[in-house]
Amino acid sequence: MELRDRRQLALMLAPYLLGLVALVAVPALFTFALALTEYDLIRSPRFIGLDNVRELAGDEIFHTALLNSAVFAAIAVPLRVGAALVLALLLHRRFRGAGSGRAAAVLPTVIPDVAYGLLWLWLLNPLYGPITLFLGWIGPPGKTIWGLALPQFLTHPNDARAAIILMSVFTIGEGFVLFLVARQSLPGELYELAAIEDATAWSVFRRVTLPLLAPILVLLLLRDTILSFQLNFVPALVVTDGGPPPYSTTYLPLFVYRTGFEYLRYGYASAATVLMFVLTAAAVWLQWLVLRRARFASF
Amino acid sequence: MARPVSLVRLERVSKEYDGVSAVRELELEVADGELLVVLGPSGCGKSTVLRLVAGLEEATAGRIMIGERDVTRLSPGRRNVSMVFQSYALFPHLTAAENIGFGLVVREVRRAEVRERVARAAALVDCAHLLARRPAQLSGGERQRIALARALVREPDVFLLDEPLSNLDAELRAQTRAELKLLHARVGATMLYVTHDQIEALTLGQRIAVLRDGELQQLGTPNQIWREPANRFVGRFVGSPAMNILSSGTAVGLDTPPGAEVGIRPEHVMLGETGVEATVMLVEPIGSEALVHLRVAEAALVARAPADAPRSVGDTLRVSLSREHVHLFDAGTGERLPWS
Amino acid sequence: MARGTSWRILGAAAIVAVVALPSAFLIAGSLRQPGLPPPLTPELVPDPVVFGNYERAADLVGLGRAALNSFLVAALTAPLSVLVASWAGFALVLIRARVRTVILAASLLALMVPLTALLVPRFALFRSLGLVNTFVPLVAPALVATSPIYVLVFYVAFRRLPPELYDACRLEAASPLQIWRRVGMPLVRPVAVAIGLLAFVLSWGNFLDPLVYLHDRELFTLPLALRSLAQLDPTNYPLLLAGSVIATAPVIAVFLVAQRYFLHEHRGAGWLGR
Repeated sequence: MELRDRRQLALMLAPYLLGLVALVAVPALFTFALALTEYDLIRSPRFIGLDNVRELAGDEIFHTALLNSAVFAAIAVPLRVGAALVLALLLHRRFRGAGSGRAAAVLPTVIPDVAYGLLWLWLLNPLYGPITLFLGWIGPPGKTIWGLALPQFLTHPNDARAAIILMSVFTIGEGFVLFLVARQSLPGELYELAAIEDATAWSVFRRVTLPLLAPILVLLLLRDTILSFQLNFVPALVVTDGGPPPYSTTYLPLFVYRTGFEYLRYGYASAATVLMFVLTAAAVWLQWLVLRRARFASF
Repeated sequence: MARPVSLVRLERVSKEYDGVSAVRELELEVADGELLVVLGPSGCGKSTVLRLVAGLEEATAGRIMIGERDVTRLSPGRRNVSMVFQSYALFPHLTAAENIGFGLVVREVRRAEVRERVARAAALVDCAHLLARRPAQLSGGERQRIALARALVREPDVFLLDEPLSNLDAELRAQTRAELKLLHARVGATMLYVTHDQIEALTLGQRIAVLRDGELQQLGTPNQIWREPANRFVGRFVGSPAMNILSSGTAVGLDTPPGAEVGIRPEHVMLGETGVEATVMLVEPIGSEALVHLRVAEAALVARAPADAPRSVGDTLRVSLSREHVHLFDAGTGERLPWS
Repeated sequence: MARGTSWRILGAAAIVAVVALPSAFLIAGSLRQPGLPPPLTPELVPDPVVFGNYERAADLVGLGRAALNSFLVAALTAPLSVLVASWAGFALVLIRARVRTVILAASLLALMVPLTALLVPRFALFRSLGLVNTFVPLVAPALVATSPIYVLVFYVAFRRLPPELYDACRLEAASPLQIWRRVGMPLVRPVAVAIGLLAFVLSWGNFLDPLVYLHDRELFTLPLALRSLAQLDPTNYPLLLAGSVIATAPVIAVFLVAQRYFLHEHRGAGWLGR
């Protein structure tokens, strides 16, 4: 390849690489360094070695946050990516109402986080929230369908966690859009062939759609796993405030935020962030191995 | 069109991928204005040769000359070559005219000149009426013309054609073959043409280079390749049905030296009253002729005979071979042996 | 009607219903009289219907100006993100395998870094550059295409183009930038529009960065203005809902416009050359 081409390719990569270094790598290294200090954002950091890590190892709240985040990721990611895929496959063709369907699918994602949180706060309200009212309406008085107790979203730990997961399943706009575009780009001849072979919808999905969507699917699974450790920040903050006590919906981002900005222990929060990163990396690695095994991922 | 300049020369060119040799020490020359066909089975390296001349692959060793220029290290855009791809490689989002003129626009030729040259190239391949359409709206044959026009418009030194007819149906293929031959005669361009189809090679090529596993087997005119194949592989590859190979000449009554295989083309196997006894195993009629599969002693032979003489399975007849059409190949190396 | 279309229409209707209902309540809630006790049963049309909430929300925290700010930032960030992502994604296809692997791995690592790890150091960086209280820190993430995932999406998209197209371009002496402009981008237009849209949405809804960097009320973007609203009158749900509707409507409008561009059935101008 000649010089002019090489230079242009370097030029095309430059902004992104600059961004990676200046806005991600350097700040990340900074934070990772701060993990070894005691820092209240006012006085200079004080080096304390691995004390933060030792403290985290014994911190009950951190353990709870870790567990909460891991469980959330394990449940929410398949639900979210699955929902995005199903919706995209449902809505990618042109038919009457497709446009409205797509707008509806994307709507929860584009509502500003704060408004989304407030909306759910209202929806889940145990006294006058529509969900509670609806559930009470379809069952015997004081209970919901099948005689189950009415969920106490804001006071019962597991109900609160379910609520957070429920909230996250709706905000799949990004995955939905990307699956839409990817599905649209698949060549029509393959599907015509399948129609001629009179293949069932499921086998078309398994043998044509899924393999061809594999790269995007892999990307989104990885991305969503990573995101799931971060995206429940606003809902947990606004709706459940990390509760109900003690800390049943305190996830890692909330823990870090509280520790850093409310308790002003930024060094400690940084250490938690580093562990968050390690956990994310482990989850991604695990996922990569599984996908590799299923011969799904080839870059 | 201005007469393009010079010739192509490959000097001991090799190409390796991860330790596997795709092309070994190839020596090849294409004369100015010549249409040279590179013929061989799939995987023989013929497309690699083309890509090496184009500059789409970099040679591991050796030198490539176009005219007086050593282009071995030059990027494709600077070699002044054009290529017609097997899949045509047309840009789906551009019209035919925009496809043809693409290289000119990229080189910042004035728009008026682009239009004029596109029109001329389109006229040469008779696709002027298709210029406003997009590739998706064109048939395979039409797309091929556009690809050709795109190659012609830049008036390069060398035209490279990568199995351009293989995606066409049989009738269109024959017709386009003839048109290509006419086009070459009209334009007088230097063309390097790659194919696995020996009919194309024999009808189009002024010379043929037969390739196998990255090595040149023979370079010669169609006549030479046909009449004097340099080895057993070339003998069998060119000609349909393939040349018969017998492990020794004694079965058919020839005094060939030991260790020599006998090659005889089906059309040179004479069926009649004289010669060695043979049994008919299968008769395949192909129009005015028939392919007769025979068993002679332990050997199998295919003969081409007129269809009017009725033969059926189990018949015995006599087979003889004319000495002047017999080829001798070394049983070990496959190389051609002389025989008086 | 094609096979299965009736199922699709049913499915689409179901989705619309599921989403439309809360949205209807949201809008209904924004039209309620503030200060009244909340309804015992969900109601679609409040009594009395009050439109004043919208005006009040807009006036109280300057939602109009905030919307303009949000729009300015998003309108800058989105195209810039598409440019950076498409350039990087495209270049990744053409560079040497070894360099590519390094950059892909670095992108994945960058994806995994939690945003909380970046907040304070970035703040320190921009503060040292004197860029706090400007829009620059809000647009700057466009340098990583808003997210490295978009670079990867473009990479996958460009990689799907037939290699002969790239070969043909090289033979015509097209430089990488020319190939990107004349062949690459036109053929991945749906992806480009989709990513532009997603970057716009992300920028529009970004709460954390404006929270950290913007101090002047004049510069507030919509999420911040909404928060101010919530702080001023925390229990006034109708007011908050009205503000939320104002904050959401523009993005929906942008989505409805954009989705026609990347979801038009351009079967002819597909990615395959044949």
